Amino acid sequence: MSFIPENLKYTKEHEWVLFDEEMLTYTCGITDHAQEMLTDIVFVELPEKGLEVKKGERLAVVESVKAVSDVYAPLSGEVIEINHRLEDSPELLNSDPYGDGWICKLSVKNPSEADELLDATEYEAHIASGD
Amino acid sequence: MGKKTPLFDVHLSHKARMIDFVGWELPVMYSSIIEEHAAVRNAAGIFDVSHMGKIEVKGNGAYAFLEKLLPTRLSKLYPGKSMYSCLCNEEGGVIDDLFVYMKSHTDFFLVVNAEPRAKDIEWLHLWNTFGVMIADVSDDIAKIDLQGPRSRDIAQKAFRETSIEKLSRFSFIETEFEQFPILISQSGYTGEYGFEIYIHRAGAALLWEKLLQEGKPFGLLPCGLGARDILRLEAAYSLYGHELDEATTPIEAGIGWVVSSDKDYIGKNALEAQKQNGAFRETICFECADKGIAREKCDVFFEGEKIGHVTSAAYSPTFKKCIGMARIVRGVVEIGSNITIAVREKVLRATVVPRPFLSYRG
Repeated sequence: MSFIPENLKYTKEHEWVLFDEEMLTYTCGITDHAQEMLTDIVFVELPEKGLEVKKGERLAVVESVKAVSDVYAPLSGEVIEINHRLEDSPELLNSDPYGDGWICKLSVKNPSEADELLDATEYEAHIASGD
Repeated sequence: MGKKTPLFDVHLSHKARMIDFVGWELPVMYSSIIEEHAAVRNAAGIFDVSHMGKIEVKGNGAYAFLEKLLPTRLSKLYPGKSMYSCLCNEEGGVIDDLFVYMKSHTDFFLVVNAEPRAKDIEWLHLWNTFGVMIADVSDDIAKIDLQGPRSRDIAQKAFRETSIEKLSRFSFIETEFEQFPILISQSGYTGEYGFEIYIHRAGAALLWEKLLQEGKPFGLLPCGLGARDILRLEAAYSLYGHELDEATTPIEAGIGWVVSSDKDYIGKNALEAQKQNGAFRETICFECADKGIAREKCDVFFEGEKIGHVTSAAYSPTFKKCIGMARIVRGVVEIGSNITIAVREKVLRATVVPRPFLSYRG
């Protein structure tokens, strides 16, 4: 069973979201379940700082030994910080997906989009349903 | 549900992640493909490859029959020796690649790929004007590969058979394990020293657990098909359906050395002509300069022209970059040429490098 922290929000596409207190920015990455499914991750294509994305648009590309997978923006916003450590240590996505393996930080453009995110219980049910 | 090997329940109890591979349920990995790869390169690993097809060819005409079927000189075999070869059609295309084990002049054991197995057996029957007995024993016999530099130590402990350590490459012995007859061959598909072991299906789980137990102090891990594919690619061994198919000759696939027979074998005219005049296509090895992984079937370009496609590619933990093989128009590139590979909407830069990436280390 994969690890699903209670304090995070989730997408059906297996990204996690952590809001700051004011909900002005959010940090995101891929879930423990996602990294388990992908197996050993060997490359990450990170977005450029300043990139503006709409919710659901491609934010990053993660390549594992077995497959390539897109990471989608959980909410619309602008990329304000990138985890450059992933460039040389993509394995952080496997070893610490909710911590050192964070992918990037974005500004929150439309807070109402957060309503569509799943909480930990809903995400767990989503995984159990097999998607 | 796919077909199951005799080790299916063992894999589940060891928490293997299973996938469908040409209709078989096989482990793709246990813990991590990267860790399993490292175990085989530095210590040892075991693989369940019981899905492979196994065929007995017996009778007074067996030798002449195989001379008719194989482009490889059969006279290099003697009892207790095996060789790699291909079954070719009249055009020289590869119906399947296989290993031929010679037990005696009238008794051979063929190991073929799982997917083309039924087609192979049909092909054998089609050309059997030699009165040989052809028996598909695939489901009766399990196959476990023990690979890696510590394989010798582990085999010694597991089998208590002194002759194993003396086996030269591609040599085999027949002996017993817990009263089950086994065939142990010093060979493999990883580029490392090791053994391919054949045992009756009823003894497979016993053997697997024994190898795990004896191998543990040496760092042995059970390995899945994911690690196996990367290991064989680093050694630039061909995989049927990728580098080899019925529209590709051994010469185009870069294994022209298997075409060595002076007998009247099937496909001889086509293959000899290609050897003389050159084939239209060739198979090259490349490594990527850019981050990213080329995947099978991606188009390959040289100076703006499409010249072929990728047959296999993967991230190599040994070289820390993407490596691969591609079938392209012959004579366009040379070692050191810069090519590009179209991967999704990106273009990866790559360089043509000598084959293999990693030389046999046994």
